[in-house]
Amino acid sequence: MSVSGARAGTMDTRSDLGFRLAALARIVELGPGRVDPALIAEAGQLLLRAGDRLKLSGDHTVVALAGGTGSGKSSLFNRISGLELSPTGVRRPTTARTHACVWGLDGAGPLLDWLQIQWRHRFARASALDRGESQLHGLILLDLPDHDSIRAITDHEADRLIQVADLIVWVLDPQKYADAATHGKYVAELAGHEAITVFALNQADRLAPEELAECVVDLSDLLKREGVHHPRIVPTSATSGRGVNSLKSVLAESVANRRAAVQRLDADLDRIMVRLTKVMPAPDAMAVHPTVDLARQEGLTDALCDAVGVPAVGEAMENVYGVRSIDWVGWPYARWAARLRPDPMNSLRLGNLRDDIRAVTAASVSAQPAEVENAVQALADGLSSDMPEAWQNGVRDSARSQLSRLPQVLSDELTEIAPRLDRVPGWWWLLKIWQYLLVVLFVAGVGWAGAILLYGVFKVGREPTDLLGDVSALPWLGLMMVSVLGLGLLSAIASRNFVVLGAGNERVHLEREMRRRISAVSKDMVIKPVEQELRRYNDFFAALTSGRR
Amino acid sequence: MKSTAKKTECADEHTEQSGDAVIEEKDLPETPEEQTITFQAIRPGDDDPRAAGSDATAAPGQELDAEIPTDVPTATPQPPSAETGDTAERDAARTGAAGTDGTDSSGGQSSDAAPGQAAFNVFAPVKAGAAQVATGDTGTSDAVSGKAAFDAFAPVKAQAPEVATDDTAASSQAHHVAVPKDDSPANDPSPEARDTSSTPENASAVKKDDSPKTRDVPPATPDVSTVLEDVPDPRGVSPAPEDVSADHEDVSPVSGDVSAEKLDFAPVSEDVPAADQDVSLSSEDVSTDTPDVSPVPEDVAADDQDVLPVSEDVSFDPFKETKSRTSAGQPQSGPGDTGSRVVWEPAEAAPAADADGSDESEGGSIPPYQRVREVPLPKPVSRALTAALSGLRDSVTGLRLGLDVPGVEEARKAQTEILAQIEDYVIPRVHMSTAPALVVVAGSTGAGKSTLVNTLAAAKVSSTGVRRPTTGTPVLACHPDDRDWFAKGDVLNGMIRVDRPGPDGTLDSLVLASTERLPQGVALLDTPDIDSVVETHHEIAHRMLDAADLWVFVTTAARYADAPAWNLLRLAKERGARLAIVLSRVPVRSREVIDKHFSRMLQEYGLGDVERFVINESTVTGGRLPDEEVTELRMWLTELSVDEQRRGQAVQATLDGVLNSFRSRIPALARHLEAQVAFRAELRTDVDAAYMGALAEIDEATSDGSLLRGEVLARWQDFAGSGDLMKTLHLRRPGRLATKSTQQAPMRLRAFKSALRSGLESVIVSAGQRAAVEVVARWRQRDGVGDRLAAVSGLGRPSDEFVRRVGRTIGAWQEHVVALIRSGGVTKRSVAKLVSFDEEALALVFMISLLGYGSSDVATSSGTGTLPERMLRGVLGADSLRTIGTKARSDLRARISLLFDEETLRYVQVLDEAGIPDEAAAKRLYQATYNLEVAR
Repeated sequence: MSVSGARAGTMDTRSDLGFRLAALARIVELGPGRVDPALIAEAGQLLLRAGDRLKLSGDHTVVALAGGTGSGKSSLFNRISGLELSPTGVRRPTTARTHACVWGLDGAGPLLDWLQIQWRHRFARASALDRGESQLHGLILLDLPDHDSIRAITDHEADRLIQVADLIVWVLDPQKYADAATHGKYVAELAGHEAITVFALNQADRLAPEELAECVVDLSDLLKREGVHHPRIVPTSATSGRGVNSLKSVLAESVANRRAAVQRLDADLDRIMVRLTKVMPAPDAMAVHPTVDLARQEGLTDALCDAVGVPAVGEAMENVYGVRSIDWVGWPYARWAARLRPDPMNSLRLGNLRDDIRAVTAASVSAQPAEVENAVQALADGLSSDMPEAWQNGVRDSARSQLSRLPQVLSDELTEIAPRLDRVPGWWWLLKIWQYLLVVLFVAGVGWAGAILLYGVFKVGREPTDLLGDVSALPWLGLMMVSVLGLGLLSAIASRNFVVLGAGNERVHLEREMRRRISAVSKDMVIKPVEQELRRYNDFFAALTSGRR
Repeated sequence: MKSTAKKTECADEHTEQSGDAVIEEKDLPETPEEQTITFQAIRPGDDDPRAAGSDATAAPGQELDAEIPTDVPTATPQPPSAETGDTAERDAARTGAAGTDGTDSSGGQSSDAAPGQAAFNVFAPVKAGAAQVATGDTGTSDAVSGKAAFDAFAPVKAQAPEVATDDTAASSQAHHVAVPKDDSPANDPSPEARDTSSTPENASAVKKDDSPKTRDVPPATPDVSTVLEDVPDPRGVSPAPEDVSADHEDVSPVSGDVSAEKLDFAPVSEDVPAADQDVSLSSEDVSTDTPDVSPVPEDVAADDQDVLPVSEDVSFDPFKETKSRTSAGQPQSGPGDTGSRVVWEPAEAAPAADADGSDESEGGSIPPYQRVREVPLPKPVSRALTAALSGLRDSVTGLRLGLDVPGVEEARKAQTEILAQIEDYVIPRVHMSTAPALVVVAGSTGAGKSTLVNTLAAAKVSSTGVRRPTTGTPVLACHPDDRDWFAKGDVLNGMIRVDRPGPDGTLDSLVLASTERLPQGVALLDTPDIDSVVETHHEIAHRMLDAADLWVFVTTAARYADAPAWNLLRLAKERGARLAIVLSRVPVRSREVIDKHFSRMLQEYGLGDVERFVINESTVTGGRLPDEEVTELRMWLTELSVDEQRRGQAVQATLDGVLNSFRSRIPALARHLEAQVAFRAELRTDVDAAYMGALAEIDEATSDGSLLRGEVLARWQDFAGSGDLMKTLHLRRPGRLATKSTQQAPMRLRAFKSALRSGLESVIVSAGQRAAVEVVARWRQRDGVGDRLAAVSGLGRPSDEFVRRVGRTIGAWQEHVVALIRSGGVTKRSVAKLVSFDEEALALVFMISLLGYGSSDVATSSGTGTLPERMLRGVLGADSLRTIGTKARSDLRARISLLFDEETLRYVQVLDEAGIPDEAAAKRLYQATYNLEVAR
């Protein structure tokens, strides 16, 4: 009953663990470039290890006896296993290879392989022989080499196994229990692993009872200072056998629960999550809005429009059309009159500059790269101001990802729609013809009037037709000529107004169109990558939160 | 007879070794080979080619000597002589054999001296376990070969400094042939008497004695005087004066010879009076002890005259003394009488003989250190050394290691260590080289340091317990007489002296305790551990070790393979510190195994010859071990206490080690400093490179026309296309000013101008932006170091002021260009007569042209140049256009550079805040190191 309950608990924990591991996997996937690579690598290793361990026998609990040289790991190992399996001695360091003793061999093989325990150092206790120890069934006891002797400087076996064991028994002794080598590197680091850490204060027989009590209190204070809030301390004596049974029962409990492996991974996960959180503190706005809001988009479009010079283009179009239309729709007499004025260009012998100036207007619309860059930068800065720096850089980089192409694309896109300033609309031609028609009419009128004067008034000769000699027609003719002139002037003014009006309309239309296109381009080339990065940011912190439990 | 305190470095080492050997050998039987070996080590000291003969003889003599001890149990007046006779005979025999050559040559050489004397020196650096080591020098010297022998001599003496050295100069009168017979009468008082000094036995006797004596004498105080009195050596002693006297006689003739020959030695002839006294005094000393003395005085008196010239050295310079003594010994070979026996009386005796005269030899009433302080080092040397050291200290103090270059932590630590060591230890030590030696007890937590100190002090001076770590404040235990010395505190003067430990972990207090049971001149310092979780303890312990004269490293049977322990041993080795190792808490039954294993490990590590003490595991009561466990250690300490010379050498060795270590530590520091300087330069280069790149970008953008896009282009089109361009020029007509049609122009002009300005601004701003990002990126690439700097907020973007400043700069530039146009336009008179123009508009046209109009996609038509160019040329003339163009461009460049310089300043500031490594500091360090070496 209790076993099945424990099993159920295990299953719960397992699924929970799976969930958190998935979150970690997501972090490992999203983190590179944003989080310290070493940490990501470590997280990756933890994932691998977790995967391996969960695949292997869940019925076994790997218990490692760890500690400094001379603390009595091997003696304790032998005591617990009841056999002289691991050689003990007075020379330091004694044990160089890890020894393992298995209670209940079924399925332990692959696990031992994974732990890289050499064959000749594996021992099994068939549970049938140990009636009294059935509760230890499923225990894999490891006798580690020390981690603090000069040998350990070059040999990291203890280090490795401490990182993978399901349950760690720190074998301390009254002389060495406060060594920095044990505490600084392991105990304090693994402070969150309380559930799977046991401290055996070995060589208790060397102390008087009251000394032992003092020692235990001191040790427990020390551990609490290091963050182990409820240390499990078992005074033992491998030589006298005292306390070994209570240690055994502690082990038996863990073994029976079959949960140490999961707890271990859980604790490791906690630890790495804490570290991740430390290097990547969750900002106040844990989740940013995954899309770039409209105001910012507008801002970007505005800035890009400025970079292209949309308002200026419109204005120029309006002005240039107005000026140029004079050549076409203007009153020819006014133009001719203007030409009579002396030209400074000519006096500087720069007469042909006019053509050049006209050519200026032939140039098309283009975007200014520096301004485009600044616009994009401003967007990225605005979006990421609350983010940790690594992510700020991420947003910036994603915004700039297509920056080199952006000005060109913008130019191309806008050239399609922007009118050439030297364009000549058809109705200008019509008006021009009309104007010249009027000029012709006027000239004809002048001729007619002259002829009437000649033949009708001065009687120079015989008029060819009556029309040419009819003096009475003269006032009418004069009226007509005046009206022709007036018509010309009127139509010039009117068409000029039409040009300006049309240019104004066109400018509005053009600006709207350019804006639309610029906004489309920016969405495609800037907003999209940025939003992708924002989603990544959100995912990352979501994973971090869910992994943190 | 002179006994002198002598400090010779090389000798020191030998001595120590021999000392070790002795102590270890307590258990083991003494082996003759060892002594021989020791001797051979000395032999290289012989310079004189002629020494060969005597050398050869000496060696066998040594062996003999070594053997002798086995025979002689104690020195009784008679037996020694007999045995001596034996020895001497044998010696002489060999001498004879070996000496023939020597004799021959000597015959030729020293005409004054008694012709042909076989020099026969046996140096037996015999070790006496506890108090007295007797070195038997049997010097039978030919004037010539003797001289050679003496060459060898000096080192030898040095070698057995703490020990009573017996110099037996068994010299044979005339040709050595005679020698064999002569040997026998050891006690023969007559100066003329042939030789044989009983010395060898003396040496041996004494030597043999040690073991028994040690047993007898309470371990605590093998006082020298005691030794002298206790040891039934009067015989041994007595011959000495005779010896001397004998020598003196000889000396007279020889001395000239000798002095001539031994250039190494201090000028022999100068010091007459002092030496005189010495000799006489010592002989008197002896006489008090010895019944035989009667003849001596005369001798001495007689000798004195002769001696005068020779022996001067002695009093003058302790170092030379040996030599002069040697020289004295050499001549003495003439009468070939008793071996001159120099008793290296520990502590008291030596100075007594030197300074005070006979009385002193008996009691050591004067606290040793007072005398010790007298002449630790010759003044000028000390002064030079002090100056060099304080120079070194100053240059180390001034270092600022601000940049987090890899290894900066180590360097900073090294800096503070070196500083602390110079102040706490080296400078005080240079002043008083043999002041009470500070023995620092260091080791792992729980190794029993405090227990050991308590036991040695026979009082609970330092608290002990089962809690780890136990000791947090260092405890200094010393003899009450020494207390003032430590309380006053040149040594460790940064530490506050307190009476009981304060709150745990205070870095700068030192508990001072005194106890009668500790020998004088040696103080024990109990330190916090080196490996517990409390890291301040490690710091304190290392600081204490830095100030130590001797290191006593305590480890246990459970710990001796711990990595921190070996780190400490490595440190000791590196520093050349004098070291003793205590292996404590050793279970009795496995003592042998552990001891062997440990010693093998030490041997592999190159520390096989370090003194080692093993303490069994036993119950601790009241914070102390049973006294018998520490007997050896106590004895060792006592030796140090009593034997000022040995202590002095130990102290000197450690000091030398420290000074030697400076040879590598300070250059290492300097190298690190150089690395910092280089690194800073690199960081600076990063900044410069990034901004240079930005500047180049701007240059390009402002000349290839890429600036003339977007708004600028549109405005230009507007400006030109709407005819305003044409309107900038007017024909000058009297009475007529600007046309009405230009009404709209100012607006357009302004728009154009501001477009141009913002275009330029944006180019500069974006370049500045990129440069800022690049600097940070480059810094980040510098392995983690730049990271911290790059993390300073705001470095990744231009400063807040930047945009505004750029605006101002461009505005100013535009104004400048207008001014240029204005002043340039005036020059072309012919045009000015005809045409007036709007300078502002023309300036804009000029800028357009300057910024690369026509080189980009802006259409360019005719071949004679771009539109603005031609227009400007027309108006201003080609020459002035070129001038103005150059000026305007360089002005723009200068302004932008200035702008970037201001930006760069931010990075420089960050660098400076991190600490400006002084580039000359490294050089100063090297110089200081060199000065130190010179001063030494």
